[in-house]
Formats: sequence, C-alpha cells, structure tokens
Amino acid sequence: MNLKSLIRHETFLALLLVAVLIVLSFQSDRFFTVSNLLNQGRLMTETGLIAIAMTFVIATGGIDLSVGSILGLVAILTGVFWHNVGMPLGLAAVAAIAVGTFAGFVNGLIITRFRVPPLIATLATLALYRGLAEGISQARSVRGYPDWFYVLGQGEVLGVPTQLWILVAAAIIASVILAYTRWGRTVYAIGSNEVASRFSGLSVEKTKLALYTASGFAAAVAAVIFVSRVSTTRSDMGTGIELDAITAVVLGGTSIFGGRGTILGTVIGLCLIQALKNGLSLAGVKGDGTIMLIGAVLILAILASNLFERSGTR
Amino acid sequence: MAMSVDLPPTRPASAARRPGFLSRLFAEYGQEIVVLAAIVVLFIVVTMVNPRFISANNLTTIFAGNAYIAVAAIGMSMVIVTGNIDVSVGALIGVLATISGTLAVAGYPVWVAWFFPVLVGMAIMGVQGVLVAYARIPSIVVTLGAMSILRGGLISVTGGTWISGLPSEFLLAQQRWFGVPSPIVMMVVLTVLAFLWMRYSAFGRSLYAVGGNPEAALATGIPIERRIVAVFVIHGAFAGLATILFATQLQVIQSTVPPNLELTVITASVIGGVSILGGSGTVIGSTLATILFAAIGSALIFVNVSAYWLRAVIGLLILATVLADMMRRRGKA
Amino acid sequence: MTAPFVTMTGMSKSFVGVKVLKDVDFDVRPGEVHALLGENGAGKSTLIKMLSGLYTPDAGTITVNGEAMKFSSTRDATAAGIATVYQELLLFPELTVAENVFLGHYPRTAGGWIDWAEVRARTRDLLDQLDTFDLDVDTKVLALSVAQRQRVEIAKALSKNAKILIMDEPTASLVEADVQRLMQVVRQLRERGVGIVYVSHRMPEIFALADRVTVLRDGAHVGTRAIGEVDERELVSMMVGRPIDSLFPKTEAAIGETVLEVRNLNHGRHVRDISFSLRRGEILGIAGLVGSGRTELALTLFGMTPATSGEIVMEGRPVRITSPRQARDLGIAYVPEDRGLQGLVKPMAIRKNVSMATIERVSSGIFIKPAAEARRAVDAVKRLSIRCRDIGQPVGELSGGNQQKVVIAKWLETSPKVLILDEPTRGVDVGAKAEIHTIMGELVKQGVAVIMISSELPEVLGMSDRVLVMSGGAITGEIDRADATPERVGAAMTAHRVQANGTGEAA
Repeated sequence: MNLKSLIRHETFLALLLVAVLIVLSFQSDRFFTVSNLLNQGRLMTETGLIAIAMTFVIATGGIDLSVGSILGLVAILTGVFWHNVGMPLGLAAVAAIAVGTFAGFVNGLIITRFRVPPLIATLATLALYRGLAEGISQARSVRGYPDWFYVLGQGEVLGVPTQLWILVAAAIIASVILAYTRWGRTVYAIGSNEVASRFSGLSVEKTKLALYTASGFAAAVAAVIFVSRVSTTRSDMGTGIELDAITAVVLGGTSIFGGRGTILGTVIGLCLIQALKNGLSLAGVKGDGTIMLIGAVLILAILASNLFERSGTR
Repeated sequence: MAMSVDLPPTRPASAARRPGFLSRLFAEYGQEIVVLAAIVVLFIVVTMVNPRFISANNLTTIFAGNAYIAVAAIGMSMVIVTGNIDVSVGALIGVLATISGTLAVAGYPVWVAWFFPVLVGMAIMGVQGVLVAYARIPSIVVTLGAMSILRGGLISVTGGTWISGLPSEFLLAQQRWFGVPSPIVMMVVLTVLAFLWMRYSAFGRSLYAVGGNPEAALATGIPIERRIVAVFVIHGAFAGLATILFATQLQVIQSTVPPNLELTVITASVIGGVSILGGSGTVIGSTLATILFAAIGSALIFVNVSAYWLRAVIGLLILATVLADMMRRRGKA
Repeated sequence: MTAPFVTMTGMSKSFVGVKVLKDVDFDVRPGEVHALLGENGAGKSTLIKMLSGLYTPDAGTITVNGEAMKFSSTRDATAAGIATVYQELLLFPELTVAENVFLGHYPRTAGGWIDWAEVRARTRDLLDQLDTFDLDVDTKVLALSVAQRQRVEIAKALSKNAKILIMDEPTASLVEADVQRLMQVVRQLRERGVGIVYVSHRMPEIFALADRVTVLRDGAHVGTRAIGEVDERELVSMMVGRPIDSLFPKTEAAIGETVLEVRNLNHGRHVRDISFSLRRGEILGIAGLVGSGRTELALTLFGMTPATSGEIVMEGRPVRITSPRQARDLGIAYVPEDRGLQGLVKPMAIRKNVSMATIERVSSGIFIKPAAEARRAVDAVKRLSIRCRDIGQPVGELSGGNQQKVVIAKWLETSPKVLILDEPTRGVDVGAKAEIHTIMGELVKQGVAVIMISSELPEVLGMSDRVLVMSGGAITGEIDRADATPERVGAAMTAHRVQANGTGEAA
C-alpha cells in the first residue's frame, strides 16, 4: 500500500476524467457550461455522500446494499413526521435522519454482534427498510413543503448549489480522516487483515459499527437533500443508488476485498460516472441506457483492478 | 461428541448404536421441516380468521401463480451452495420473458418461443460464471453489474410496452396436466429431480464440497472454476424454465418483472435451509419456502393487512433465518 | 530388507531465494514405518509436500517402483499410490463420512451413476479394518471428534489404494488413549505392507513405532538410521547440530518478585484449572504437544478468549482481562503463533506494523504524527537488527526471521511487563533464531517476565529458567531448569492428567 502505486491509480483516473470531459464538450455545446457543470454537481451530491461513506465500508472488506432503502425510508419519514405527525419541518428532518442513522446502526449490530456477513445482512435490511418505507407510506407521497426548505436542494450559496458545498466539505473531512488519523489506519488494517488487527488490540467491532452507522447517516442526509431537490417524497426513492455508489467507489481504486482506497479516487470516480450520465442524456439516451452503462462500468472497473492487483502494483 | 476414552476396539458393526430414524431425519432436514411446519401453522391460523383462504381457487393461485419463483430458486440454491450469489436473476427473467413473447407473437413455433430463452439464459449466466470463476470478481459485483445491464437493456429495447396478442398454444402455464395446473407439476417434478441430483450425483456433491471447503476441494482435485461456470449455466437454465411459467401465465407480457424478484428467490433459498455461507441446504427447502412466502402474501390480503408490508415481512424473514443459521453454527463450532 | 517402493534422490527446493531443501535423499520401503525428524524449518514439510505432489522440486528425482516420476499435481501422486494425512484435515464438514472418503473417485454403476450402496459398504469395510467399528458412515463430519476425523482421512487414503501413507504430526491433537489406538492402526497398516512416513516430534512414539528414522537439519539430510541403532540423545543432537548447552547461551538474569499469578484459570476444554506464577526477569518455558492448550492459555491471558473462571493477579492486583487492548494496558503482550495471519498486516509498511499496537503514542489526538512513527520504527529496526530496505517496505517482503522481529518490535513498543512468545523461532533461519534468543536475554535483564511457548525441546530446555508442561489443557509438570531433561519433559508432555505434585491441584 505505498504512496507511489496509489498516486498512479488516481492520476490515471484523473486523466481519464479529463479525457471524457473533453470528448463530451465536443459532443454537445451544452455540456461544458458553468451552469451545466454546477448542475451536475448538484445532481451527484446524494450519490456522492453515500459513496464517501461506502468507501470506508468497502475498505474494511464489507459492503452496504441497504443505503438506497435507508434513503427511501428517511424520505418517507420526513414527509410523515412533518405532514402526519405535525412536527415542524426542521425537527421532522432531524428526526428522520436520526432514524436513518439508527438503521445504519442496526446494520452494524447485525454484522458485528451476530457475525452475519455484510452482504447478506444488508441484502436483508435492503428489503426490510424498503418494506417499512412502503408500508408506512402506503404508496402515498407528500408534497407542498415550505419554500425555505427547497434552498437545500434547489438553491445556491455564493453561486454554487447548496448541497455541493456539503459534498465538498464531507469529502475533505473524510479524506483527512482516512489518510491521516488513527481511525483511517484502523480501517485499512481491518481491510487488509482483520485477524491481525484484533490481535494488535484494535477495536474492530467498534470501528465497523461506527462505519455502518455513518453509512446510514450519509444515506439519511442524502434523503433530505433529495426530497428538497425534487419537492416530494415517494417510497421508491433511492432505488438503485447503491449500484452507483459502489461503482464510484470501485472505479476510484478501492479494492472490493478491502485494505486499499482513497476518497479522492471515489470523488473522481463519481465525477466520471456523472459526466458519462450527463453525456448520454445530452445525446438523447434515456435513463435506462445509463443504467446499463453503469453496470458495465462496474464490471470493467473491477476487472481492471484485479488485473492490476495481480501484476503486483500494490 | 468426542469419542470416549475407553471404547473397546472390537465391537462388530451390527452392535453399533445408530441414532433413530426420526432424529436423523430431523438433524439432516431440520430446516425444511421447520418451513413445512410454518406453512401448516399459517394455513390453520389464517383459515380460522378467514375461511375463504383455503378455497380451491385461492390455493391454486398461491401454488400455481408462484411456482415460477420456486423453479428459479432451484438454480439459485445451487449457486448459493457453492458460496456465490446472483442478484441478476429478476432482470434476466424479464429479458427472457420479452424474448419469449416476441418470438411467439412473431409466429415462431411455440417450442422455439419456450426454449430459445432457456438457451439465452444459460449463455448470459455462463458469461457471469466465467467472470466469477476465472476473473475472480466477487459474484455480488458481477451480478450487480449484470442486473443493471439487463434491466436497462430491457427498458431501452421494449420502451416499456407490453406484449399482447400471444397465441393460445403458447400459454403453457394455463394448461392442466393430469388435472393439476402445469406450473405445480413442473415445480414439483423439477424440485424432486434437482434434489435427487444434488444428493446423489458426483457433480451435485462436488458443489457442496466447493462451497464447504474450497481449499480441500482443490486438494481433492475438483475443478473448481469449471464447476462454478457450470452451476451458473444451470442456474440460467432454471431461470429460463421459470420464465416459461412466468411468461405464459397471462394473455400479456409486461415489460417489467415483479420488483425485487431476485430478492424473493434468494430469500426462498436461504429460508429453505441453504446456508448463505455455502456448503449446505437442499432445493426442497427452497421450494417449501417459496410456498410459504406466497402463502404469507396471500394471507396478508385475506387478513386485511395492506400488501405493502409484504416486503418488510420478507426482509424480517431473511434476517431471522440468517440469524438463526449463524447461532446454530456457532453452537456447533 | 526389501527394496524401497519410493526413492527420492537429490531433492532441492528454494522459496523466494532461500534454499529450504538441499540435496536430500529419502526412501520408503513397503511395510516399514520410516520416521522423519527435524526441528521446525528443517525441511520436513517441504519434503513430504514434494512427495505428495503439492510442490515441484527444483532439482532431484522421485522414483516409484523403479520408475522415475514427475508429479505435477496431487492427483499424479495419488495415482502412483502415495496418500497423505495432513495436520489440517481436508474434510468437508457438511458431507457424510462415506461421501468424504470417496469424493472424487466414486465407484460407479453400469449406468454411470454413483453406486451409493457400494460407497457406503466399502467405507464401512475400510473403517472396520481400522478398528473403528462405532463410526456411522452416514454421520456428517462436522459431528466428529478430531480423532474420528483422522480415521476418516486415513480411510480416504486407503480407499485410493495407497502404498505409501504420509502422516504429518498425526498425534498432535489427540488425547492419550487415541494416540495408542492410532499407533495400533499404524502397526496394522505396516503389517499389510503399507509404507508409512511418520513425521513427528514425539520421541516415545518414534521409538515405539519406527523401523528407521531420518533426521533433517536446516534443509539438509543429516542421517538415516535403523531405530535400534540410536537413542534419543543422539537423535536430538543430530537434529540440533551440537550439544544443547552451547546452542542457547543462557544469560543469567536477576529473578525478582512475582509479577503475574494465575489461579484455577478455566476456559473451555483446553484451559483447565491452570495455576502458576511468574517472576520478573524469568523465562518460563511452556512445553507440550500441539493441542495441549498452550496457545489457548496464552489467548486467555491475552484476553482473546477470556477466562470463564479463575483469577489473574497482575502485580498484586486481581484483574479481569476481556480484550487484547485491556491486556496491553495491563502490560501483557502476546507475539502470536501464526505471524502471517495474526501478527502482521503484510501489505502494510514496517513502520505501520510497528506502531499498530501503540498508535496512540505516535498520535496527537486522532492525528497520526508521521515523524514520531517513523522515528520509533527506525529505532526498532536498529535495536532488533531487522534487515530491510527501509521502514516503508511492506512487511510481507521480509524473510521469516525479520517478520518475526517486526512482530516482537510491535509488542516491545507497549513496554510490556509480561511478554508471551508463542513459537518465536518457528520458520526462522538459524541466524535470526540466535538473534531472537539474544533479544529475549536482554529483555529479562531489564526485568521483563517472559513466557515462551515452544515445540522445540532443545529451545525450551536451553532457554527456560522453569518449564511448565501442559497436556490435555492441564499442567502436567513444573520442572526447574536444573532438573529439566528431555525425558522428564517428554514424559510430562504425554502424561494424561496432572499427578499430585508440588505445583498444582490433583486430577
């Protein structure tokens, strides 16, 4: 895990991003405008927050498939707490985020306390949380939020979309934690060799619990931003976002087996995916075509990563 | 169960203590028996609340309408036994159903419309199997990517339109064989055949070996990569067979499959006793579990609980089963 | 004197530039038990893995029944009649005994299906031949004890018509009664003309069973003798190369007050009613066979598998140790048995591994101070003479001895009062071994109390001030340095239960 090989992967990715941007700007003159780029930044915040938390989770060798369902659940609860229960909107959002964070905590408990493999645990909670969202909402959506609420998702601060500031701040904090703190070191150690980490006295269980809770928190915050952006809440919100997040993380150089990865890589991967999505839509391809592309990118990214690993650039 | 110290070494086999038939049956098939018991209990309880639950019509709906899930779960169980997983089967069935319907409407012979998708299913799953076995990409990732490709592809191609005008000979699922709806016959026959094969054939046993102890399997000379590819191909075949039942139920084929179909199929396998850690479980269990689900779904309606809670129930069931499985393993270890 | 069935000549093998086998000759005759003896790292395991087809030799020839052979896989060796019963049994827990025995080579019916009736009948027959009448062929392997699983492995080997059976430390995890019965089985197999390669440390068994014994040392063939021509002393000196005393320069250190007291400690089957005390500056050796509970005891003291009952008194204060972190805070450190899996994070740099147990000391708040971390790593490298490129080198690239030193360095950073070393020189070359022993000597001079778990009798006898011997989870002997001889220690290692003696409780 030396600096040289990491920099190589991120630089390669950055160059790729630049190349894609150039290609896309030629393909459509609507692409490389400030307003479009800022808008793309707005759109990628929800996935971005989740992907940042997901980087930590995957770096420990785990995975969280339930983030999309947590997003949906928190979105529904925001509407329900405000509209049906009558809480002031700010409080409703906070309460909903608390529930989402707790959902992540439950994930962590199942994985650490009961030793259920993360894949299965979060596959099960994917169904459970989505089911709760569906059951609570009974397929009804909530609309009509006060105007000030939309500032978060649709407004701007200093000319930049509000949520983008949040994403940037989160990215900076996360990368500092991962690269320079004891917590980050623990994450990498667990991902490379969990047994040895335990034997060295590192708190493996507490760390994992914290990470899955954080993943739930990220999905919850993303949910509130999402609702603010689209002005409504529906129980199917966030479906499939786990795919986007995992793809961004893997594309960014984080090994699916754990022990390697950076936030910078995830962010570049995120930008790449968003750029591709935008390029496709500007070229008239519908949303489903984009899904296909992301799926293909995921497989290719891991294929490439495996090849690199085998040739020893570790 | 440590061997006691002072066991005399010269006792012939006939005098050896063999645990009773029933206790051995329970030890081997405990999970399956639990699911069966759950089905019986559910039926009794719901019928007490609403006697129409047990009407012939409703029973047919429960069993025949969901038989395709059980068939798909057979292939999925095999995949899980080897220690892998597949989340693309739902999207695959959607794609195969569209292919099937398109062929039928275009005038091809019915058997082509039925069996060509099976081949396609085998091919698509085969590719995934190769990526898992030889490129060593974790199966969750490969199948996650494949799911998106298939799902996106389906909508792009069909544009969301339904296929109608299916010729009546095509509608296999509506036929009755020996007086029983064909889906039920297929479900039972395929389950039994698959069970026997997994239990008694060298190939079937080797799947349990691969999932139970990969290093030992390698040392025993089992070609692990080839087995994994093979199991994915077989899984594709079962998905194709499931598609036949799914696509031929109604006069139209929708452009989407029931949401989270793959999750239901996986859950059926897991609850049916296939351990998610690989290496154990039977297809009889997964079929019984599918019946349990279908019954629960129907029961919710009859007991007047909103069907929107079904998915939450499924999630809880998976969790409960997996937790129980974990505790059982920790107890034994 | 029959001609050998298998002859190996001039076998050599290197790993990562280190020669682990140099020009070794070895042969096995039908109907003999040929013991293979040597310290850890002597090359025994490499030799038998080449015989069983797992490794390909860099040089040398293998002849089976007069024909030269090249084994490119275990299947080739099996086809030639060579089967192995490994220490880590390769069985499938969820499959039955019969299925395990015949997996991969089932008898078939005319139609090509598996003939399950035949499978079960033949398994039954094989087990009966091994005097294992009460093992039901339809039981799943996960329900079996270690001894029973071993029978299944042997039956598996026999089912492939093995002419040569390699047994790697077969009695390592067995209780005494099962050891006796296994020896019976081995005698029977010998009578049937099977040639057995018996890899073991246990002198009593070797002298009871073997016809010939070959000793390896540092990858070279030292000698092959008929068992009647040697005694234990001679074998040990062949293994070790020189008389024991000159190998381990025992530095005299002042032994101080009691730092650790353990009373009636219990955990599961492997730590039973353990009581002992440890003093500053003392090296307490713990001897015993694999499975005797030594590592389990260490893990209990270290908090990995906390005690279920009993007392631990550290520097006069009773404590409950429930996690490695707690153990570390109390001053107890544990250098694990399996350094690759438990001791090191191989892809990470040396400096990161060195600081792993004491990360707070090189951090201010949550932030790691790279300069401080680097300084400590450089110090450690110098102090322990770790041969490496620089502190940024991944530890996975170091040799076994240097890797071990990194693990030791990591735990020395915690300023331990009690240092538990579990097989500290396993898989370590001779030079590094001496260096590690020197390090231990310096530590005790500084007042650290050392517990050394080792399977190498010479090491235990040479380094320890006192020797605790464990068997079956209990302490079966406590012997002072002056009275410690291979015979006494060896006898205690195979004793069944503790006899009433000065140290502990009666059985």
